Amino acid sequence: MNDENKSCCPPPEAEPTATRSAAPMWIIVVTLMVLFFGGLYLDSHSGWFDAKVYAPYNSAEMLESFQPLSGAAQAAAQGKKVYEAVCGICHGVDGAGKPGQAPPLAGSEWVTAKGMSRLTHIPLQGLNGPIKVAGKDWTLNMAAMGAALPDSDLAAVLTYIRNSWGNKAGEVSADDVKKVRDAIGGHPQPMSGDDLTKMPE
Amino acid sequence: MKTGLTVFLATAVAFGASWLGLVYGPIAQLGGQQQTVVLQSGDTWPQQRTGDATLGLQVYRAYGCAACHTQQARQSGVADEITLTSLGSDKAADLKDYVKTLLVLPSLLEASNTIVANLEAWNGQVPLTLYSGQDSAVVATLADKLKAGGLKTDARVVASGPDLARGWGVRQSVAADYLYDVPVQLGSLRAGPDLSIIGVRSPDVNWQLQHLYAPRSLVKSSTMPAFRFLFTVRKAGAQPAPDALVLPPEFAPAAGLEVVPTAEARQLAAYLVSLKATAPLYEAPFTPVTAAK
Amino acid sequence: MNPAETKSISPAEIDASCRVPLLALFGGAALWLVLGLGLGIAAMLSFHAPNMFADCPVLTYGRAQAAANDLLLYGFVIPAALGVMLWIFARLSQAPLALPIVPVAAANLWHLGVLVGTGAILAGQSTGYPWLEYPRVAAVLLFAGFMLAAVSAAATMGFRRDREMHPAHWFLFASLLWFVWSYSTANLFLLPAHPPRGVVQAVVAWWFGNNLLFVWLALAGVGMAFYFLPKFAGKPLAGTGYALFAFLTLIVSATWCGIPRSAPVPAWLPALSTYAAMLAIIPVLAIAIIAWRTISGSGFCVTGGPNCFVRFGTLSFVLSALLYLGAWCPRGSQILDLTWYGFGVSQWQLLGFAGMMLLGGIYHILPRIMAKDLPFPLLAKANAFIFGFGVLIYVLPLLAGGLEQGLKLRDPSVPFADVSAASLLFLRISTTGQLLLLVGALCLLVNVLLMTLQWKIALAKSAIAAVLAPLETRPEAGTPKEVKS
Repeated sequence: MNDENKSCCPPPEAEPTATRSAAPMWIIVVTLMVLFFGGLYLDSHSGWFDAKVYAPYNSAEMLESFQPLSGAAQAAAQGKKVYEAVCGICHGVDGAGKPGQAPPLAGSEWVTAKGMSRLTHIPLQGLNGPIKVAGKDWTLNMAAMGAALPDSDLAAVLTYIRNSWGNKAGEVSADDVKKVRDAIGGHPQPMSGDDLTKMPE
Repeated sequence: MKTGLTVFLATAVAFGASWLGLVYGPIAQLGGQQQTVVLQSGDTWPQQRTGDATLGLQVYRAYGCAACHTQQARQSGVADEITLTSLGSDKAADLKDYVKTLLVLPSLLEASNTIVANLEAWNGQVPLTLYSGQDSAVVATLADKLKAGGLKTDARVVASGPDLARGWGVRQSVAADYLYDVPVQLGSLRAGPDLSIIGVRSPDVNWQLQHLYAPRSLVKSSTMPAFRFLFTVRKAGAQPAPDALVLPPEFAPAAGLEVVPTAEARQLAAYLVSLKATAPLYEAPFTPVTAAK
Repeated sequence: MNPAETKSISPAEIDASCRVPLLALFGGAALWLVLGLGLGIAAMLSFHAPNMFADCPVLTYGRAQAAANDLLLYGFVIPAALGVMLWIFARLSQAPLALPIVPVAAANLWHLGVLVGTGAILAGQSTGYPWLEYPRVAAVLLFAGFMLAAVSAAATMGFRRDREMHPAHWFLFASLLWFVWSYSTANLFLLPAHPPRGVVQAVVAWWFGNNLLFVWLALAGVGMAFYFLPKFAGKPLAGTGYALFAFLTLIVSATWCGIPRSAPVPAWLPALSTYAAMLAIIPVLAIAIIAWRTISGSGFCVTGGPNCFVRFGTLSFVLSALLYLGAWCPRGSQILDLTWYGFGVSQWQLLGFAGMMLLGGIYHILPRIMAKDLPFPLLAKANAFIFGFGVLIYVLPLLAGGLEQGLKLRDPSVPFADVSAASLLFLRISTTGQLLLLVGALCLLVNVLLMTLQWKIALAKSAIAAVLAPLETRPEAGTPKEVKS
C-alpha cells in the first residue's frame, strides 16, 4: 500500500497506543475551585429555581420588592379602566358627556370642587336633574352607578375624572369614599339637583 | 475504563442528569403554564390569537423568518423611581430643605447621598426625579412623607436596557409571552430588528404588507430580501382592488397592473400585527405610561 | 460478546471489509458537503443582492440557510463521522467490520432521510426549530439509519481482540449513544402535534443544539483526534488517565451548556448553563494539553496530508470551544448574544473542527480501503490549505462582524439601519471564504467520486471477464486453444 503522505511523520500502520499517565494535580485543583466558585455564582444568580424570577432579578425577594407601589400612576390606570367600563358609556370616554344621556365631566365645577365629599355622593346615591353643569341645564336621571364598586375602585375613578381632560383637582382616597358611604348608610335614595346644591363640598 | 459497559453507564448517568435538569425540569416547571394576570388589572395575558394571525405563525415558520429576526426583548436593569410632579404652593428652596430634613430617617440613610446629589443638580422645575435605584423602601418612604407634606409624587418601576431603549420592548420577554406559540420562534440572530412588539411599532397591516413586498420602499437601507412571491401582480380592473398595495412609483408595477397580497401574505401580516408583548406582569413589572388626555 | 478470532488479521483485510459501507457513507457525505456549501452561498446572496430571490420562495434566506446548515451537519458531518468511526473501531479491534451489510443499509436510509428533509425545508415544511428542521418522516429515516450504523459499530467494538479500550473507544462509543439519545429526545418532545407549551420548546431545542453541535461533535471529533494524532506522530497518546479525566468532565459539564443568557426563561436555566460553561473549559484545556503533549517533538506539518487536517481540526476544536463557552461570560453575552458571532462559532465547529478532522480521516482511510492511491493526491494536499484558509476567511469575519454588531446594538443611539449596514462588509468577506470552501469540497468530491467510479469500473471489468472467461476457455472441437487469463 502506498503512503502518499511523505511528510515529516509517515504514519505507521501500527495502531496508536496510549501511555498511562494520570491527570496532573493542578487541573484537579482548578476543577474543584471552579466547582466551588461556580456554585457561589449559582447561589446568587439562579433565583433558587423560582419560575417567576428572571434575570436581572436575582431572587424572589428582589422581584417582590420591585412590584409597583400603589401610587398615583397605578390608581390612574385602574381608575381609567373602571371609568371606561362603568361611566364612559354615558359620560363618554373623553368626559364630554352626551346630550340626552349624561352631562360632561370635563370642566364640570362639581367634579373639580376643592372638597370631594359632595362629588362622592353622586355615584353612591344617584342624582335626578335638573342640575346646572358648566352653564347648561341637564334634566336627566342617574342611578347609583358607583354603589356596587369597591371603595378603592371608586376612589380611583373619582381621582381619574378629577385629573383628566384638563381637570386639575385633588385625589380621592379609598378612606374618603368609605366615610361618605358610611354617612349615607343603607338604602340610599337618589338626590335631586337642589339637594346637591345645598350640600357642602 | 475497561469495558463497554462502564462507558455506557458513565454516559448514561451524565446524559440522564442533563436530561432531568434541562429537559424534564423546565417541562415540569413551565410546561403546564396557564394564562397569567396583568399587573394592577384584571386582564389575562396572553390572549389567544385568532384567525389569520394563528395561520400567520405557520407562514412565519415556513419561510424561516426566525433566521433573521428575534422575538425576545432583553432587559438589563430595573429601577424604582420617585419623581416629584408638582410643587404645590412651595418654593424650590423650601422643598430642598424639607427633603434634607427627611434624610435622617433610617430607611433613607443609605440613599441620602444620591438624593442630595439629585437635589443639588435640580434646576428648580418639576418634574424632579428624587431617587432612581434598587431600594423600594426609599421610594415608599419618600412617597408617604412628601404626600403628607402636600406634594404630589409619581412612583414608578422602570425597566431599562439597550433593547428597551431602542424601542424594541417595554419590558423583557418572559415565558408567558409564548404560551400559545407552536412552534416558538424566538430566533437567534438579529440581522433584522426584534419583533416582540412590532404590532405596537407598526400596527398598520398595510405597512407590513408593503414592507414584505418592497422593504426598501419603507426603509431605504434595509437588507431584507423582498418577498414578492407572497403577492400576485395582475391586471387592474376599472377600479383598483380594495386590498391592492399602494406603492411609490419606483416600486410599483407597470401601468395597468396592481399588486395584491396572497392569503399567506395577509396571514403573515396579521400575525406580525398581533405581536404586542407590552403587558406588565408579576415576573416583569414596570409602570406603564398611561396617558389621560 | 464473542471471543476474538485467534488468527491475526492484516490491516488490509480489515480495510477491505470496510470498503462498501464506507464508500456509501463517504460518497453521500461528499456530495452533501458540496450541496450544503452551495446552498449556503445562495443563502448569503440574499444579503449581497436582496432582490435576487424575490420571486423564488425555494431559495429565500430562511429556507436556504436552514437547509444548508442541516446539509452540513446531517448530510456531511454525521455520515462521514460514522464512516470514520466504523473504520477506527475495526482497526482498533483488529477485526473486520461486523455485519458489513448493515452500515450499507444505514447509509442508504440516512441519505434518503437527508434528501427528504432538505426537500421538505425548501418546500416550507421545516419544523421551525434550529438544527432540528427535518420533519418527522426524514427524522425517522435518519434515526433508523444511525441506529443500524451504531449497532454495527458497537458489535465491531465488542469483537475487539485486545479487551483494553483505547481512549478513542470511550469518546467514539459515547458519541454513538449521545446522538441516539439526544436525537430521539428532541424529536419525541418537539415534533408531535402537542409539544410542551410555550418557551419550553425553545429550551429543549437549545439543549438539543448544544448536545449535538458541542457535545456530540466534541466526542466524535476528539475521539478521532486521539486516534489519529498519536498515529501520525508515531508517539503514544499522552495519558490514559488524563484522557479519562477529560472524558468524564466533558460529558458531565458540557451537556448543561446551551441555554443563552438572553433567553426569556427563568433565571435558573441560564445560570446553570453559565456554571456549566465555566466547568466545560476544563476538559477543553485538558484535551488541548493532551494533544500538545502527543504531537510535540514530531515536527511541523506543512505538506497538506491527513496529518495537517487533523492538527488543524484539533486546534479548531480548542479555539471554537473556548469561543463558544466564552459567550456565557456575563459581559460577553450582553454583547455577543443574538449576533453573527453565534452563527460564526457554529460554522467553525462544523467546518473547521469536524470538517477538517473528517476530511483528514477520509483522505487517510480512502486509499487504504480501496487498496489504491487517490486519483488526485495533489488535489487532496491542496485541499488542506484551500479548506483551512476557507474556514478562516469564512468564520473570522463572522466573529468580528458579530462583535461589531453587538457593540452597536448596545448603543441605542445607533439606528438599526447603520447596524445592519456595518455587517455587510464582513458578510462579503465571509462569502469569499465560502467560495474557497466550495472549491475544497469539490476537490474531495472529485477524489471520492473518481475512486468509486474506478472501483465500479474495475468490478464491472472483472465481472465481464468472469462471464466471458468460460467462453474463451471452451475448446473448439478438436483444436486446443490458447487460454487467456
